[in-house]
Amino acid sequence: MVPYIARRLIFAVFLVFAVSSSSLILARLAGGDYVTESLGIEAHAATVEQARARYGLDKSMGAQYRDWLGRVVRLDLGRSLLYDRPVSDLIPERAANTAILAFTALLFATLIGLPLGVVAGSRRRGPGGAGDVIPGVIRATSLILLSMPPLLTSLFLIFVAARTGWMPIAGMRSPGEPATGLTLDLLRHLIVPAGALALPLAAMFERLQAQAMAEAIGAPFVLATLARGVPRSRVVWRDALKASLRPIAAVYGIVIGTLLSGSFVVEVITAWPGLGRLMLDALRARDVFLVAGCAGAGSIFLALGSLLSDAALALVDPRVAEP
Amino acid sequence: MGAACSSPGTSTTGGPATNGAALGVPRGGNLVVSVRNEPRSFSRLAARETTTDLLSNLTQAKLVRINKVTLEVEPALAESWIRSDDGRRYTLKLRPGVVFSDGQPFTSADVVFTFKAVYDEKTGSSLADSLQANGKRLRVTAIDPLTVEIAFADPFAAGVRLLDNLPILPRHKLEAALDAGKLGEAWNLSTPPSEIVGLGPFVLSAYIPGQRLVFDRNPRYFRKAPDGSALPYLDRLTIEIIPDQSAELLRLEAGQIDMTHSEILPEAYAPLKRAADAGRIKLVDLGVGLDANSLWFNLKPGAFAGDPRAAWLQRDELRQAISLAVDRQLMADTVYLGAAAPVFGPITPANKTWYWAGLPKTPHDIEAAKRKLAAIGLTDRTGDGTLEDARGRPAQFTLLTRTGRPDLERGAAVIRDEMKKIGVVVNVVTLEAGALVDRFANTGKYEAVYYSPIASDTDPALNPDFWFSFGSAHLWNMAQKMPATDWERRIDELMAKQIASPDESERKKLFDEVQQVFVEHEPVVYFAAPRVYVAVSSRVTNLTPAISRPQTLWEPDTLAVNK
Repeated sequence: MVPYIARRLIFAVFLVFAVSSSSLILARLAGGDYVTESLGIEAHAATVEQARARYGLDKSMGAQYRDWLGRVVRLDLGRSLLYDRPVSDLIPERAANTAILAFTALLFATLIGLPLGVVAGSRRRGPGGAGDVIPGVIRATSLILLSMPPLLTSLFLIFVAARTGWMPIAGMRSPGEPATGLTLDLLRHLIVPAGALALPLAAMFERLQAQAMAEAIGAPFVLATLARGVPRSRVVWRDALKASLRPIAAVYGIVIGTLLSGSFVVEVITAWPGLGRLMLDALRARDVFLVAGCAGAGSIFLALGSLLSDAALALVDPRVAEP
Repeated sequence: MGAACSSPGTSTTGGPATNGAALGVPRGGNLVVSVRNEPRSFSRLAARETTTDLLSNLTQAKLVRINKVTLEVEPALAESWIRSDDGRRYTLKLRPGVVFSDGQPFTSADVVFTFKAVYDEKTGSSLADSLQANGKRLRVTAIDPLTVEIAFADPFAAGVRLLDNLPILPRHKLEAALDAGKLGEAWNLSTPPSEIVGLGPFVLSAYIPGQRLVFDRNPRYFRKAPDGSALPYLDRLTIEIIPDQSAELLRLEAGQIDMTHSEILPEAYAPLKRAADAGRIKLVDLGVGLDANSLWFNLKPGAFAGDPRAAWLQRDELRQAISLAVDRQLMADTVYLGAAAPVFGPITPANKTWYWAGLPKTPHDIEAAKRKLAAIGLTDRTGDGTLEDARGRPAQFTLLTRTGRPDLERGAAVIRDEMKKIGVVVNVVTLEAGALVDRFANTGKYEAVYYSPIASDTDPALNPDFWFSFGSAHLWNMAQKMPATDWERRIDELMAKQIASPDESERKKLFDEVQQVFVEHEPVVYFAAPRVYVAVSSRVTNLTPAISRPQTLWEPDTLAVNK
């Protein structure tokens, strides 16, 4: 088990290094640079050259990469050209906001998707087509939500928020409200972005759980428990649920990683000040060090999520950890 | 003797009069404005972009300001000024009794310090480039604590208008940073808001990254209302950072913000009109704007060396054919959904001082366009509807435009379709803004560009980089050492006279001639100027919107809200 986790950890370090390095190089290779973007076309050539020298953008790409690498090994991610602040200061404050959004979305998705999956999986239609209509409705809703990307769900929820006025349309906190801490205002602002991320995710959880539950319901130990006269609801929600959690446990870590590293679109549309928005701003401004930092942070989340999933899988199924 | 160029405002309380502010304007309250981007700095010297500019407008003041409605220069920190007879020196009398937001007095030493800071090489401010006349820096001398002399190397007709760019900085707060060669980094986004001191109507009280900037009323602000009472009217102004325009407009409709910082896009007009009809917002039509969409080719000599199309890509006739072939009214109707006016040159009717109604207007004439192309050897030799050169190669070029701007993408499509009608194939390629600017401003690797450049000022003397052949914004062939063509040489000569002449009517005549030469050769082909609409919530009052940016926030001290 330990060698397995160690192997995954080494791979995770390599992933983070590769992603942040390639982001820096790709951002540098793209046409234009921070100076062109920030000074505009009216700046005189001497001013432009002076600014390039100040930011080190006049060096060759190899030299810039060497400088960056030299700093990174000392855990210095460089200084953001855009915000004139250390990248290592900018990322944690935005990553914290992304984490709030991601974990809320995960909570919503789990609380919605898991029970619905249990209901849908445990109430299958009988052989003659008779049976509950509820599983059909749940399945159809899940399929619709699964086919809607977070971009559409966020636009839909923003539309609902604008028309009803029930919740804020965008942003993280209202003016005049405390800038930190868990407040009712923050929870209200979370509804739209977390909902946009959570709905497709809940549908995925529901589908996975329904499938696993349907299999678990037919398992001999469940049939035997039912035959002994234990109430069906107790068997479903206690014994079968426990036995059917493996698929969701396997994807949970990856979902966490994906949410933390990939809620860009929702963050931009709902004005959520997270890592995704920071990276978009950095890309637009050609802030190469911030781009590399954000990509690195995203890949750390993804690697950690993947590691978590692997560890969980190895725990429930020791065969996956075998060399 | 010199000529007095302005007089103090009419207020009896020491501050200049405001722009038509009425008695009984409500006081207090919080106005919420949206912007699309984060600021890059708290200092205008360090960064040049919309939000930093806005922040500077709110927290800092200038010696003079351009009234964005009348486009005239008005007193601000300088209450009056006198121009010397040779037109080179301006003596500015500073307003007495003015103090910074921290209570320190404002004097001529702050003005001298600000110029020193802007021109300092270590500061590396792009303001240093715009604070020049004929490519030469201004010399500033403090005569006494309330008088400064600003000297231009050559006669400069636009004079103190140039100073509208320059926020006056507090020497007592920033001198140490300048001496240490670190002014470029001073007032960055990590600086505590309480350290940002200024002469503007508001003080920065909070910056929450990614969310908002909060400004509180500066109780020491120098401008007064017409009734002599203190400005600004608002107690607080909040800037919400909303990167997506759809969310921004929905929040405006829902009453969660009071106004957007910039004009609205044509496609947003219809839904906002419904909200305006329902009384939720006010929609203001400011008329045809100052900026037009335009197309230009790479006219740098040798840019197409080795390319068989070199014989015709840089010819005047090709651009003239495009100008004749593209239906400008169609462009206005299709691209801007009817909310635009056809334009034929770089100066739109919105620029009332410098627009020339007599400028020749290119008609929409397909046959004339074909004749122009035939004159440079492009005819339909195979009968397939596409023109070919003498060796049978198809007439085609690549048009770059910016991605993410629906108006530019639609406009490029119209040009492509209109050119197809005369047998020229246009390949439209969209690029992200930075990459596009890099192509035409740095690498020069492009054939043609379709874009909407923004002029720095309405006075041509303040856009020398566009007009002069040596200018850094001379789009079609930037920063030439010598004028590449006779007509560019002629424009250089006319503009040199235009910039120096003290006689406004003479300047107008000279600039009309500049426009005439420009349109004869059409280095840049202009098509349509969109109308400018702004939308504000119905509780905003005392608004004096202007055609130039920032349309609703150029005079933030007189804005008010009904509670």
